[in-house]
Amino acid sequence: MSGHGLTGLSPWSRRLVTVGVLAWCLITVFPLYWVVVTAFKTPPGVVGGPTYLPFIDFTPTLQPFIDLYQGIRGEFFRTFLNSTIVGLSAAAIATAIGAMAAYALVRFEFKVRLGAGLVFFLLALGGYLFFNTTFGFTRPQALLLAFPIALIAAVVANRLPLPGPILGNEDILFWFVSQRMFPPIVTAFALYLLYSEIGRLGFQLIDSFVGLTLCYVAFSLPIVVWLMRDFFEAVPIEVEEAAMVDNVPSWRIFFGIVVPMSMNGLLATFMITLAFVWNEFLFALFLTNSRWQTLPILVAGQNSQRGDEWWAISAAALVAIVPMMIMAGLLSRMMRSGLLLGAIK
Amino acid sequence: MMRNDPIKHVFIWPAVLVVLAISIFPLIYSLTTSFLSYRLIPPIPPRVVWLGNYATLLQEPRFWNAIFTTTLIAFIAVGLQYAIGFGVALALNARVPGERLFRVALLLPMLLAPVAVALVARMMFNPTMGPLNQLLSKFGLVNLPFLTNGHWALACIIAVEVWQWTPFVILMMLAGLQTLPEDVYEAAELENASAWQQFWGITFPMLLPISAAIVFIRLIESYKIMDTVFVMTGGGPGVDTETLTLFAYQEGFKKFNLGYTSALSFLFLIAITIIGVTYLALLRPHLEKRR
Repeated sequence: MSGHGLTGLSPWSRRLVTVGVLAWCLITVFPLYWVVVTAFKTPPGVVGGPTYLPFIDFTPTLQPFIDLYQGIRGEFFRTFLNSTIVGLSAAAIATAIGAMAAYALVRFEFKVRLGAGLVFFLLALGGYLFFNTTFGFTRPQALLLAFPIALIAAVVANRLPLPGPILGNEDILFWFVSQRMFPPIVTAFALYLLYSEIGRLGFQLIDSFVGLTLCYVAFSLPIVVWLMRDFFEAVPIEVEEAAMVDNVPSWRIFFGIVVPMSMNGLLATFMITLAFVWNEFLFALFLTNSRWQTLPILVAGQNSQRGDEWWAISAAALVAIVPMMIMAGLLSRMMRSGLLLGAIK
Repeated sequence: MMRNDPIKHVFIWPAVLVVLAISIFPLIYSLTTSFLSYRLIPPIPPRVVWLGNYATLLQEPRFWNAIFTTTLIAFIAVGLQYAIGFGVALALNARVPGERLFRVALLLPMLLAPVAVALVARMMFNPTMGPLNQLLSKFGLVNLPFLTNGHWALACIIAVEVWQWTPFVILMMLAGLQTLPEDVYEAAELENASAWQQFWGITFPMLLPISAAIVFIRLIESYKIMDTVFVMTGGGPGVDTETLTLFAYQEGFKKFNLGYTSALSFLFLIAITIIGVTYLALLRPHLEKRR
């Protein structure tokens, strides 16, 4: 693909375009430069007005980072660990089960009756209300009872000749992706209430590794399924057909042939999911309070805790930003090989 | 070719179960709660009020203010993101000098935590110690009350949104541009079509479907905006920059007014659905004509 835009332009407009892109680049980079230099400033270097160049404008110091490490402004080290653990596990689990689902949607045929979906929703809602009001079960108990009943009924109903349209793979994919459209506040708030009521039954989910990771896995799955479907569709079917002729079971085709062939896609999906979990704020705000607090919460807290101590705020922001900067470098390298092209078709 | 093998259930059920449990569950839960009058502080036993919460909300000026603010931020920010992003993508695709170097830098913002970006923005916009006002002073202009005046605060939030999410548009449009067939442009060259004509006659219409998808994704995501506002202004001054999610957070997490908040989040869901469906309905004739 050669450039067809600039060749047709006069030299003057060509210069104008270059200047425009340069200007946008400057706007993009300057705030990043600013946070990096500010993180190495001493308090006088900040309060005296903006300074820009290390060693010329101000003397750089490592003090903000030492303060961070020593936990003077909140337990940064543990929070960093929390973010890493939750991020890596949620991204790994979501990529694994999302990739499996995406593969199933690409290569196998599914038929779901709309009627069965309705049966599920009505039974889950009705069963919940029924158990809660008539039998006096607590809310989570009622939900936990209604869910399997509704699920089994829906699976059975799917085999019956119900009237109404039959949904195929495309519709299931749409269902997955449409979960992204939900305002997260709807779920975050309800999940908080649900988790705390389950906690009252003796199983702690608020401020726990399991609760937070589970929620992140669920919210990454739509993206994972959407991205991975395109990668799997790009795998040539002939390879799989050849394996089927040799009677290789499907699970071995998937793990032995398809997964290694789409390693790039899996890696990119994993990194995108990791970035999403690492930066997520709303769910962490609702679902954690101290033990499993993640970096965005701690970073946001720096703001109100103590006025304008920018050297410390910058260092904190930098800790949250740098891992993602490294990822951006890695991702852009993969992107050059036309990786994300498939995802948007 | 589609296979049929019982193992497909093993592949798909884990994902379906997790998504069902975590997203449909709370939905039922908050749907039923939204018909109750239910507070935790002070504790009142739940009482069924049917649509009472919804009626109260629809008469609440703060709710309409939040809707208006969120819509304003979403539409202006996405409009700017699309315009700038498309422009930069065109330039990068046309091999501007140094294009490789730009790519990494240009993609960075969208991977950074919005709370961290908002903190950096607070520094940039600081009236006395921030570089922006210093720049204005240098050119002899008045210093601006960036985050303390309602209108300016809104503009700052929009600016931060544009800064952070234009890279997404650049990335997607760049990928879209690379799928365009070369021969159409060669034919246009033969016809002596100007660059301007080529853009409006070929590039823009051919990229309309992907543009529609990008704008759709960005609009929906922008309506959820919360962290940036939370850190930059906290919804202030007053409630001038309070968005829907922030409003719901204040009601739910600060006042523990559960029934009310559930109703609010449902209205939010309905609003998003209406916007989404209207958008798709408006665009459908344009998209189908091109096929």
